[in-house]
Amino acid sequence: MRVFGAMLVDAYRELNSKRLFWVILGLSAFVTIVYGSIGFDDDGMSMFFGLVNIDNPMLSRDSLISSVLYRSIFTTFMIGLWLAWVATILALISTATIFPDFIAGGSIDMVLSKPVRRPTLFAMKYVVSLLFVLLQVTIFCLGVFLCMGLRLGDWEWKVFAAIPIVTVFFSYLYSISVLVGVWTRSALTALLVTMLVWFSLFSVNMAEGVLYQERTKLVIRTEESDRLLDSLDQRLEALPNNDAAAPVRARVEAEQETALAQRTSVQDTIDQLDDWYRPIKWMQAVMPKTGETIGLLDRWLARDTDVNLMDIMAGTVEIDASTGDFETRDTSADRESLRRRLEEDAEKSLWYIVGTSLVFEAVLLLAAGLIFVRRDY
Amino acid sequence: MTNNGSYAIDLHRVEKTYRGKVRALRGIEMQVHRGEIFGLLGPNGAGKSTLVKIMMTVVRANRATGTILGRPIGHKPTLGRVGYLPEHHRMPPYLTGHQVLDFYAALAGVPRSERRPRARRLLGLVGMEEWADKKLGSYSKGMLQRLGLAQTLMNDPDLVVLDEPTDGVDPVGRRDIRDVLLELRGEGKTVFLNSHLLSELEMVCDRVAILVQGVVAQQGTMHELTAESERYEVAIAGAPPAWVAGDEKLRADAGPNDTTTLIAPRSDAEALQPVLDRLRRESRTILSVKPVRETLEDLFMRAVTDPETGRPHAPGAARNGGSS
Repeated sequence: MRVFGAMLVDAYRELNSKRLFWVILGLSAFVTIVYGSIGFDDDGMSMFFGLVNIDNPMLSRDSLISSVLYRSIFTTFMIGLWLAWVATILALISTATIFPDFIAGGSIDMVLSKPVRRPTLFAMKYVVSLLFVLLQVTIFCLGVFLCMGLRLGDWEWKVFAAIPIVTVFFSYLYSISVLVGVWTRSALTALLVTMLVWFSLFSVNMAEGVLYQERTKLVIRTEESDRLLDSLDQRLEALPNNDAAAPVRARVEAEQETALAQRTSVQDTIDQLDDWYRPIKWMQAVMPKTGETIGLLDRWLARDTDVNLMDIMAGTVEIDASTGDFETRDTSADRESLRRRLEEDAEKSLWYIVGTSLVFEAVLLLAAGLIFVRRDY
Repeated sequence: MTNNGSYAIDLHRVEKTYRGKVRALRGIEMQVHRGEIFGLLGPNGAGKSTLVKIMMTVVRANRATGTILGRPIGHKPTLGRVGYLPEHHRMPPYLTGHQVLDFYAALAGVPRSERRPRARRLLGLVGMEEWADKKLGSYSKGMLQRLGLAQTLMNDPDLVVLDEPTDGVDPVGRRDIRDVLLELRGEGKTVFLNSHLLSELEMVCDRVAILVQGVVAQQGTMHELTAESERYEVAIAGAPPAWVAGDEKLRADAGPNDTTTLIAPRSDAEALQPVLDRLRRESRTILSVKPVRETLEDLFMRAVTDPETGRPHAPGAARNGGSS
């Protein structure tokens, strides 16, 4: 515990000495202030502390839409864009030097000659290296928590779930940096490889997303075809079995044939897509789920409504006259595809999203640890 | 394996071959007594730093038996009783002198309550009190060495291992470090010193070992190692006396300005008296009589010289299959 404490304090001092740490913190503070500048009153919404006003009763202070919008800005832009992309890139740049510096000649000698076992040293160094992100996200979340409370009267403690989520998300990528850094002793190589792997993950996720959307749209078409075929079947059964109905029967049968041919054609396309989709799904299964991990926050912070940020931004939200609930009037295949995606994502277990990613991270850290432990310095 | 309690370091058959079949160490046998200052010498690439790093668990030996402070080599808890200053050490530049001492002492397992007073005392010992709260980025090389020395003492070690401790240190600093080493010996601590500066070692070391191409070429006290070279040199005016040629124990070398140096290769002063008496009887002018022994540099040069070629061994470690 004494050793861990010393390494933790040392890690904090190292962060303190890094200009980039303070730059990111400053930018985070700026982003939080911009977030805090969004306000809601009885007439609607205001931005930049009242410089821009949007009068719309749907966006009034007590409206569900306001709450959804304000939360979604946090999860989509502040976490999804700022913390999970920009701040993470800066954090990776800043932390890429930690392990190469740690194992540099003259530096590692001082540490290895102490009565601490190598695996313990490695593990402790890794854990305290995550302090960079932990501190950044904690301060950031505190700011957002205050904004939500003061602006909406919505003291949402779940905001702090972003701390473990973003830290774990960062740790997936940082484990790559650690492995390459320990292996090559080069911070630059570690950073470049990490960015490359991250870009590859992003590409695979994008490919899966596009394939999923296209595939789901085709599945929706097959479902429509099935419904059409069912209704044609029913029409055929309802027709009397006489000569007078023969022309109608022939027309319905022709329609049935066309519908069946279309369905078969669509199913063939689905089968062709599956040849690509399945391997990509398998790749996703074993790779760290960066996007889905960040998406957990959306899941945990979501309000009980079908309306999401996209609907609000697209202006497709309306009030159901009978129930008074908000709903979207977008019934396109794209919207349905997105709805099914969200539904499927919501069903994925925490083990699948975080557990499998942590297994990936553990494998990389094990390899890095072995190199660290077995190497002569 | 001998596990003699009087040894702070007792090494046997220490071998290390790096990748590329570079045989850095080829069976080191070395003993360091408790409470002495021991010097390790050797040309570049002889394996000195590798040996030190094996003792400090920084490098893993292919084979090594023996003990450090009575425990097997590589026994981590024992390192809590060892202080180590590596060559070309790099301490975190974002820390102050005081923070550096605190950090490394914590890693060595020193309780917090003991760290602060001990750091203050040691910073005073190495003359760095005024720099205690300044970041290492502003330190000179000599200051870093002084701080590094203080760092090795933070855990109140029984054994202090120093790799080139006076590297980059000015003459005043060197003397200060020497004084600290002597003080440590006075306190009963063992000091293991690895240095290129032979004159430094000669001034403080009780025993030395000379490492050549991965093996210990010589080892012992200065007296033991130079005993054979001890002699008297008698300078006289004029040509050498004729009777010198008939005395097997005497040798005459011609000196400058019509002088001769008679060399009596023994340390026994009594045996020299008949020679002096005879010179007096023959009314020879005796210019000087002085006892002479090899310096550490002479000893070192002798050890690192290839007897076949008469030239120093090529620098660097031996390749596999090389001379042994």
